[in-house]
Amino acid sequence: MSGGLVQILDGNTFVVSDDRGDIEASLTDPTGLFSFDTRFLSKWVLTIDGERLNALSTDDLHYFETRFFLVPGTGTVYVDSKVFVIRQRAVGNGFHEELTILNHDDQPVDMTVRIDAASDFADLFEVKDALEKKGTYKTRIENNELVLGYERETFARATRIGSSATGRIDKAGITFKLRIEPHGEWKTSLDVVTAQVASGVTHNRTKHAKNGRRGASSMMTNLERWLAAAPRVECDWDSLKSTYRRSLVDLAALRFSPPVGGGRSLPAAGLPWFMTMFGRDSIFTSLQALPFTPELARTTLEVLGDWQGSRVDDFRDEDPGRILHELRYGELPAFEQRPHSPYYGSADATPLYVVLLDEYERWTGDTKLVREREREARAALDWIDGYADLCDNGYISYKRRNEETGLENQCWKDSWDSISYRDGRLPGFPRATCELQGYAYDAKVRGARLARSVWKDDALAKRLEREAADLKRRFNRDFWVADEGYFALALDADGNQVDALSSNNGHLLWSGIVDASKAKSVARHLMGPRLFSGWGIRTLAEGEGRYNPIGYHVGTVWPFDSSFVAWGLRRYGFKDEAAQVAAGLLDAAEFFEGRLPEAFGGYERSVTRYPVQYPTACSPQAWSTGAPLLLLRTMLGLEPLGEHLIVDPVLPAGIGHLEVLDIPGRWGRIDAFGRGRVDVDAPKGLRRQLGAARA
Amino acid sequence: MADASTQFFEGLGSRGHEAHLEGANGTLRIELTNGKKTERWLVSVDDGDVAVSHRNDTADSTLRTRRDLFDGIARGEVNAMAAVLRGALAVEGDWELIVLFQRLFPGPPVANGATAR
Repeated sequence: MSGGLVQILDGNTFVVSDDRGDIEASLTDPTGLFSFDTRFLSKWVLTIDGERLNALSTDDLHYFETRFFLVPGTGTVYVDSKVFVIRQRAVGNGFHEELTILNHDDQPVDMTVRIDAASDFADLFEVKDALEKKGTYKTRIENNELVLGYERETFARATRIGSSATGRIDKAGITFKLRIEPHGEWKTSLDVVTAQVASGVTHNRTKHAKNGRRGASSMMTNLERWLAAAPRVECDWDSLKSTYRRSLVDLAALRFSPPVGGGRSLPAAGLPWFMTMFGRDSIFTSLQALPFTPELARTTLEVLGDWQGSRVDDFRDEDPGRILHELRYGELPAFEQRPHSPYYGSADATPLYVVLLDEYERWTGDTKLVREREREARAALDWIDGYADLCDNGYISYKRRNEETGLENQCWKDSWDSISYRDGRLPGFPRATCELQGYAYDAKVRGARLARSVWKDDALAKRLEREAADLKRRFNRDFWVADEGYFALALDADGNQVDALSSNNGHLLWSGIVDASKAKSVARHLMGPRLFSGWGIRTLAEGEGRYNPIGYHVGTVWPFDSSFVAWGLRRYGFKDEAAQVAAGLLDAAEFFEGRLPEAFGGYERSVTRYPVQYPTACSPQAWSTGAPLLLLRTMLGLEPLGEHLIVDPVLPAGIGHLEVLDIPGRWGRIDAFGRGRVDVDAPKGLRRQLGAARA
Repeated sequence: MADASTQFFEGLGSRGHEAHLEGANGTLRIELTNGKKTERWLVSVDDGDVAVSHRNDTADSTLRTRRDLFDGIARGEVNAMAAVLRGALAVEGDWELIVLFQRLFPGPPVANGATAR
């Protein structure tokens, strides 16, 4: 995050503080200790003799642990202190903080150390929307711990704060009066434990549970194991190796173990505000990461399958067979002021569930899971032709039934103005965006394969193949903007084309719904100056009515989006074009030290020479983190075929050799190699970049 | 309609099979409190086959709540997961079984605009 904020996390527990380690939350300052979508600490301020400290530096040890180096005294430029303070903080079940104060002087020093603590127990939604709390706060001191509490009917949350050194506890914090001898030190361990109390039945978690240094070291072991289990990447372009490593570490940080996951993890959407299960984001990220960490896909399929919709519920936009959009644990969903318990308003997660199930089996050969999830896959396929066909025209459309707090746009481009005609007008609802039809086609084709090879239901396979062929024929007729040679963004409620040119065309290539005769024209548009910025594919083409290079879904480049466009180009044989998109994105990644943001500006590369980050982009974000992984697959042309892995590399100019070693799959472990061209006459710039010259 | 809970469990028992629970195995104990009285239901699931009894036995998952709240859940008026989030329905044990079991609860009585196909 920007603005000097420091964040560390474990699953969906995270701390956002200033660079002193202090938390002073306000509506404009979203710092705090958060867990399960609730803020458990809104104030955590360290003072010595009543004065705030000065930050010398911070040391981010790992994504779950950081260290703050501080000295007393503020407000002066010149700091000459004999007292030095270290706060080392690790997130676990709350957080554990080791506070060390060193006296470098020849004289003993007496001081009053104070931690002020408070919590507003805000729901994450409230942090953004400034809503008033309806419950009551209950602060008490119990067994030498300060307990901050909040209750609303049966809803109860508490934060327990304890210290290893004895201090005076009051309802606003802890005070330590101490003397440190010359060249001596004083230490205390502070434990902040979050507790969710359910109607007096589930009791508070034990104090200092699974917290502290031991927790941090087991997390370190876990991270090392994660990195060791992933394939190794070797390349003559160092930037790609560091981007790959960054992606793996960030993906580890973004893992989230929902209670239903049996201790296993799936990718959450993004840090810090989206550390929860999102159907769409978890599926796309799992697809990107399949050649590297297939266990993410398995957990995603299991958990999303368990939560599949089973009834009609307008408030949650739930239908039988529908895959969830988002699950939240805070006070507002609990009291049904928000529908996320879970919310089902997504039109793409359901077909994509079948796509992931098939792709997972093609890589891993895990037919057991495909059999276990047959019911869910069939229900998802039924949803496509039933509940999703709002206009009775054989296409997936969406229109929210929860008009107050539901989502208007239920496709990945979910902002209000993302779906428009060329002239900028917005269509009414229902809307049938084009990529949904591609996913539906792919789900039917892949569902047919699973039906035939695993479920042994030939009749279903034949029916799905027939439906897929029919859908493809109709789609290529109804969505094709003939005078321009691309596919319309959507059909409106009257069946008219919403005719803007967009990156969605690339998702259509990925899905396979595009007639072979139309693919070349589509690829030409994707790689043309209106969509390809030099870094990636713009979400909306330059020249469209609503085009804005820093508009969320109307002109920015989304690395996740572009990575699927590259996969789509590759699928239709446009290998050089796919490599060019990969080159642009991987160059951009280098500017962000290997961490691609959610989105960056759609400005022409030759104009800015720098990928301009979208102002409030969430980072790291799971499917941006997954993009380099998918690009590695795309460049090497990795494709499972039966029990084998096909390798058909086409590398961008500038990469001499690329190796991905120990790729896990149904073949055991296998290595993939690629050789490329290096332009020896390339001008020497400050940094070596791949795709600087536009083809 | 005070006895929606009993109807729910007796319905489960008499149907004897739930497609939504195919592939699932385990036992759930549901404890419904009404003042000082506690009513216990034990639901055994074996790949979709369901047996219901009042046996006081150990279970893989336990749900505990007030009887009137469960009546609301059984009528589709109360959402079970939201009730869990606000601490009105306590759950313990195997979460996966609980998530699969909650599929059996009906949706809200009036679903306007939605068309079941």
